[in-house]
Amino acid sequence: MPFPTAEEKLAMIKVVPPEADELRCVYALGQGEYEVGFERTNNILDEAMEVFTRSSRSSMGVAGDSMVALFTAQGDLANASCGTYLHAVIQPIIIKYILKQYGKNPGIKEGDVWFTNDALYGGIHNPDELILIPVFYQGELIAWTGAAVHTSETGAIEPGGMPVTATSRFSEGMNCPPIKIGEKGEIREDFLEMIGIFGMRAPQMVVIDLKARATGADRARKRLVELADERGRDYVVGLLRKMLLVAEEGARKRISSWPDGDFTCVNFADSAGIEMGLLRTSHLTLRKKGDHLTFDFTGISPETPYSYNAHVQAVVGHISNFVYEYIFHDLPISSAAFAPIDFVFPPNTCLNPDARAATSCSVMIATGVMSGVHNAFGKMMYCTQEMWRQVSASQGNAGNATVVAGLSQWGLPFADMPAYSLNSEGQGGRPTMDGVNAFGFPWCVYGRTPDVEEMENDLPVIIPLSNHWVDSCGHGKYRGGVGTVQIWVTHHAPAIYFMAISDNSKMQTPQPLFGGYAPATVPGISVRGADIMQKMAEGGEFALDAMKILAEQTVSGDWQYEFFGRSVRPYNLGDIITFGFATGGAGYGDPLDRDPELVMQDIKDKIISEWSAENVYKVTYEAATMRLDEAATAAARDAERAARLGRGRSYQEFEAEWLTMKPDDSLLRFYGTWPDAEMVAPVFRP
Amino acid sequence: MGRRVAITEYLDVDIDEMKWLCSACGAQLIDADDNYKKGCLVHARDPREVHNPVFEAEYNFAPDPAWVRIIEFYCPECGVQVETEYLPLGHPVTHDIDLDVAALRARVDGGELTIVDKRMEVSR
Repeated sequence: MPFPTAEEKLAMIKVVPPEADELRCVYALGQGEYEVGFERTNNILDEAMEVFTRSSRSSMGVAGDSMVALFTAQGDLANASCGTYLHAVIQPIIIKYILKQYGKNPGIKEGDVWFTNDALYGGIHNPDELILIPVFYQGELIAWTGAAVHTSETGAIEPGGMPVTATSRFSEGMNCPPIKIGEKGEIREDFLEMIGIFGMRAPQMVVIDLKARATGADRARKRLVELADERGRDYVVGLLRKMLLVAEEGARKRISSWPDGDFTCVNFADSAGIEMGLLRTSHLTLRKKGDHLTFDFTGISPETPYSYNAHVQAVVGHISNFVYEYIFHDLPISSAAFAPIDFVFPPNTCLNPDARAATSCSVMIATGVMSGVHNAFGKMMYCTQEMWRQVSASQGNAGNATVVAGLSQWGLPFADMPAYSLNSEGQGGRPTMDGVNAFGFPWCVYGRTPDVEEMENDLPVIIPLSNHWVDSCGHGKYRGGVGTVQIWVTHHAPAIYFMAISDNSKMQTPQPLFGGYAPATVPGISVRGADIMQKMAEGGEFALDAMKILAEQTVSGDWQYEFFGRSVRPYNLGDIITFGFATGGAGYGDPLDRDPELVMQDIKDKIISEWSAENVYKVTYEAATMRLDEAATAAARDAERAARLGRGRSYQEFEAEWLTMKPDDSLLRFYGTWPDAEMVAPVFRP
Repeated sequence: MGRRVAITEYLDVDIDEMKWLCSACGAQLIDADDNYKKGCLVHARDPREVHNPVFEAEYNFAPDPAWVRIIEFYCPECGVQVETEYLPLGHPVTHDIDLDVAALRARVDGGELTIVDKRMEVSR
């Protein structure tokens, strides 16, 4: 079986050295031609992305959890439009695999359509499906285009594409290696039938999404051919290679400007699948020397027996989200930006598991990495004039995903992971301002949160309220943005199936930055036999205020509190299926440094509670008038600083006692040896 | 007093004296090639003191102290909260910033970098 090893996949991310002909084309570009051409590719990609999003059917497709990209003939990413940066750096692995394995049989021809969703060969996880199309001009392969989006169903043992009880790739439904699914510009009907039957819980979604990918990628192909018609073959070849050169040069120059050193962050999760247990999901040492970076993940927990694992390139995909959002935002979205970057992933770990491992929840195990890069880069870049404003505490990065499935009010089978509330997490606090409230989805920065009415029209649910989630942010001098809370009720159908994916119910993954605090934890809460619909019909004093409903149980019924991650189960008409929680961002700086007037405004805006104002920010005010008492606040803060000096112990004294402690053994089933997280025994996967 | 570079919101490095300093009060914490956390006062905090649980249940909005504590690092002079870290009980504290201060100073002395308002700028 020639599936690529972890080392081969990491090597395939690196750019193929330019051929003499490509360099000739680069040198032939006239003054200004690159800049104009670069912008032309942005326009081509934006048009293709718009076509792609409008053609998609599943929630993630409609929300824009997608990317359209241009590649060189050798498969290196030159530029892209998104959506999400997740797919940016890793698609070259798949193109290079196709070129190497299938160049002769079945061959790569004009009009081909290639497909894969198998993370073993280079993707994120199997709900992320990809179409690649070779671009031929006058019989010569001059480029590739690609379109990727998360789809709603893979035929796994649970609905929604991210089964939490999967114990190996054999229980994840369709994992399709790179394969030619179309010729002469047409997708084969037999493949459409196959993907439809794997997605029979939601066939209209998976088939339409597949066609949307092909439509998006082909629109980019068509425009690139038009560009070659207009400006010549050499212009296109030179333009694509020049984008790689500019991206690499820009990346090296920026990295060079930062201080040398090792910058480390450690992150944890509280579960794998539906079992609670501590995991060291990231132990990142970011090593910077000269114009080179190494991401060293030595010290992460062993691979898990569930789907909370990620193949190495999927981890790189998650890193690229941060890289393109915060530090290389002004460079072409090109894999060449990763030329000066290397990775260390110890084998048989949760970030480099065995080939048979389940990885459909790779996006969950990668939350530690997503959070850790914020801290490690923040501690490296804060001292630079160019980049200090780009420092940010971690986004929410909880990804409390919910899946609903069944028969809709329209009689259609469905299985979907709604982008609402998922796409309304908070951003992390920053050196000069708070994080944005409900900014979006950390995995997909340009994805949108759909309208409630759109969701209710599509699915047999009603969402009576959606509020900012009070105190969900990490507190700090500049607090994280808060996330949101919703109530989901079964509606217009006798029952609905539900499951949820999470790993932050007992402790949070994000670490705060520079003295701030982390966001809130996320409980799983449902109410069977709830009377919320009756209360809404009656009106009266019932308030659609999530925090009041939670604090005072103003809805009657059987309240259940559990881990947010839940395997699939039914809920009846009128039940509160779940409270949906989108986590807030992490806090930045000492909360005692926060402007007290901002604290007062946050109370008035229902962003933070009076409890937090008193206990965390030490702000005093007159309750009747909500007027700040500056003198009392200053005194309370002085008293708290004095209290810190009283309770704080020397590092030596603290460590002597602290290192004698250990979590209960029942919490360490996934962790590995304590505290080094070495493997205890290999995972058994029959 | 030597040339200072701001490394975090509350930490400067004096690249001449080779010391970590509290930027809030100027107190010297420890040698620059050591872990600045060793120069701080340290306290392991019950997370329920900082995170509002809102309601009493096994699962709520506050982290579980059986799983995690908030390690707070304070300046020993002024009490500013320099850094925090959420760690399981007994997990080693992270040496998060291991800066090559000698290399940094050499780049400043060599003219490659200029210090402007305690931050580095690539010299033109």
